[in-house]
Amino acid sequence: MAWKFDNPLFSLSDEEQNDKARKLWEAEGLGGITEDNNRLPRPVVWLLGLTIISAFLMTFPLWGQRPQAAIYAEYVAAMDSPRVQAAQAAGGDQAAMAEIVRIVREGQSKYEALQVRHPLSMNELRLVKDQIIELQNSRVDLEEYTIVGYKVLLANFEGNWKADGTRERKQPWWDKGYTIDIFYVTYFCLAVMIAVKRLPNYRWQPVHHGH
Amino acid sequence: MFKYLFAKTEDIPRGSSAVYFGISSIVWFVIGTGLGSFNAAKLAFPDFVTGSELFSFGHMRQVHVMAVIFGWISMAFAMAMMYITPALGNTKLWSEKLGVWNCFVWNAGLSIALTCLWSGMSSGREYSDFPWFIDLIILFGVIVPLGINVWMTVIKRRTQGIYTTNWFFASAVFMLFIVLFVGNLPEYFQLTGLTEAYLTWWFAHNVLGLWITPVAAAIAYYTVPKITGNPLYSHRIGHLHFWSVVVFYSTPAAHHLMSSPLPEWLKSFASVEGVLILVPAIAFVSNLLLTMTGKWRFFVDNVEIKFTITGVLMAIPLNMQGGFQQTRAINWYIHGTGWIVAHAHLALLGFSTFLEAAAVYYGLQTIMRRKLYSLALANFHFWFLLIGFTIYWISMTIAGLIQGAGKIYEVPYIDVVIAEHPYMIARWVGGTMVFTGNLVWLYNMWMTAREGTVIPAGRLPHEIAYER
Repeated sequence: MAWKFDNPLFSLSDEEQNDKARKLWEAEGLGGITEDNNRLPRPVVWLLGLTIISAFLMTFPLWGQRPQAAIYAEYVAAMDSPRVQAAQAAGGDQAAMAEIVRIVREGQSKYEALQVRHPLSMNELRLVKDQIIELQNSRVDLEEYTIVGYKVLLANFEGNWKADGTRERKQPWWDKGYTIDIFYVTYFCLAVMIAVKRLPNYRWQPVHHGH
Repeated sequence: MFKYLFAKTEDIPRGSSAVYFGISSIVWFVIGTGLGSFNAAKLAFPDFVTGSELFSFGHMRQVHVMAVIFGWISMAFAMAMMYITPALGNTKLWSEKLGVWNCFVWNAGLSIALTCLWSGMSSGREYSDFPWFIDLIILFGVIVPLGINVWMTVIKRRTQGIYTTNWFFASAVFMLFIVLFVGNLPEYFQLTGLTEAYLTWWFAHNVLGLWITPVAAAIAYYTVPKITGNPLYSHRIGHLHFWSVVVFYSTPAAHHLMSSPLPEWLKSFASVEGVLILVPAIAFVSNLLLTMTGKWRFFVDNVEIKFTITGVLMAIPLNMQGGFQQTRAINWYIHGTGWIVAHAHLALLGFSTFLEAAAVYYGLQTIMRRKLYSLALANFHFWFLLIGFTIYWISMTIAGLIQGAGKIYEVPYIDVVIAEHPYMIARWVGGTMVFTGNLVWLYNMWMTAREGTVIPAGRLPHEIAYER
């Protein structure tokens, strides 16, 4: 079990150990089955890399998150403006909704990306309007409330404790689960690298005599 | 079987336990898919067999699931372990008698267990439906003896190295013990609420991930090199596959409960691990397909390779679905719909069944030294299984998407039921084709045992498949 660290990407075993492994590899028939020593094909290595990156990018809560009530507060504020009223009279709900969106865009909303991702109709906005106004009056943080169907509800997420003794209800795009994952994946890659680099280098292939 | 239970060890022919497990597995497969077809008929035709509590869907569903998992799949695994483990160690099974007893207790225990379930005695937890005393029988009467036989055979091997298949076999029986023990804790200690929900899905996830998937893959690692005569493409990729199963399959249980109030960080962690299930899948598929190099004719003219490679290829859609359907972005839509039912069948009836069927076909012929009674019937079985499964999978996937849309857009439930009705009929047609194929298989293997041509010494079944 002698280790060698001078060229770790080539082999982590010394020549004597590799020689023993090569001899055993060629001599032994495991129930008539033999094994080669090929490396993972390069495209497959790229595919694995892509898989690991995708695993993080695909799972951020950014995707599949319910809309926060906060992103519609500006919509609600604009509902009764003269411009929207005029649009409503001229072109009905659709025109009124388009006008609301235009007004909010002119104001450079910080929620613009989320508003684009979660569009809603005038009818849907009417359903949540009173609930949002009520929450604004009670001075709660609208980012902690999500729209579920026609209801505005306190978000399911429970984050850190706040100074007032309540829990943070905002879902971050990153949490400690991802941090654990980074360490976990790194340890895995290292462990597998060590396991395969203890084998004779992939440029050596066994000759299977008579198996 | 009964005559060997109390026979002297030396009087029990080698391979007896594998043969009993193999035949038992086919019988349970017929029963399990028959129940599946019956249940599907109840969903397709609501007036089919009503008025009896025993035959209601609520009583029958879990009997089907457990008959398939612990009858067909796990007994086929036991069969493969009983003959492949010693073969790869150039030795004999550690205890043929223990194997025969194992098979007897397994069949008797499962019959009692399914009767309990059928009569309504259930834990009420999906996939771990058995009541606590049945769990203990499975744990100590079934899994421990199987594990002892496998481990002792590996320890007593006559080779220095251990082939990839036996890594998976030995570790899977160990991991199954842990999964069964820990996963059923809510029954022993009356755990309730979120803890119960999490452990229920921890169990369900790991029965798939640490038992069914790795053992099925291990079988392919044996079947493909053995029949094609090619060396396994890469021992190194075998390492990657094995360790990535252990690391990435054991951790994502929380992704079954993405809408539950579990800690968000746990869901984030599990969700990334869930996508990383693709790592072992990529390693497995690439290793096996590259092993086929130059021998692709076997995919056409050899029935075992046909089953095996079809199973290997199914690992691609299976893991693509499994990896991505659990992300927040997709899970909110398809959770709790027929999509998941389709996915579960892709894992159990698609991927793993095709690999196990190959092992049972090959193993029974090899041990009994009898050539397959009818290759035509075997091909009939293959195509009925494949077409039946495909109809089932596609129809349930579409039904799932309809249910998902209905759920999100708050369509009245009865409208969704009406919309998915044609797909429920298609599901029944597909499931019934699978059942019919299995009846033919049982007949074929029974006739193989009774009237199959004797395989001459020194020859293997696939070598004489086309000789008269």
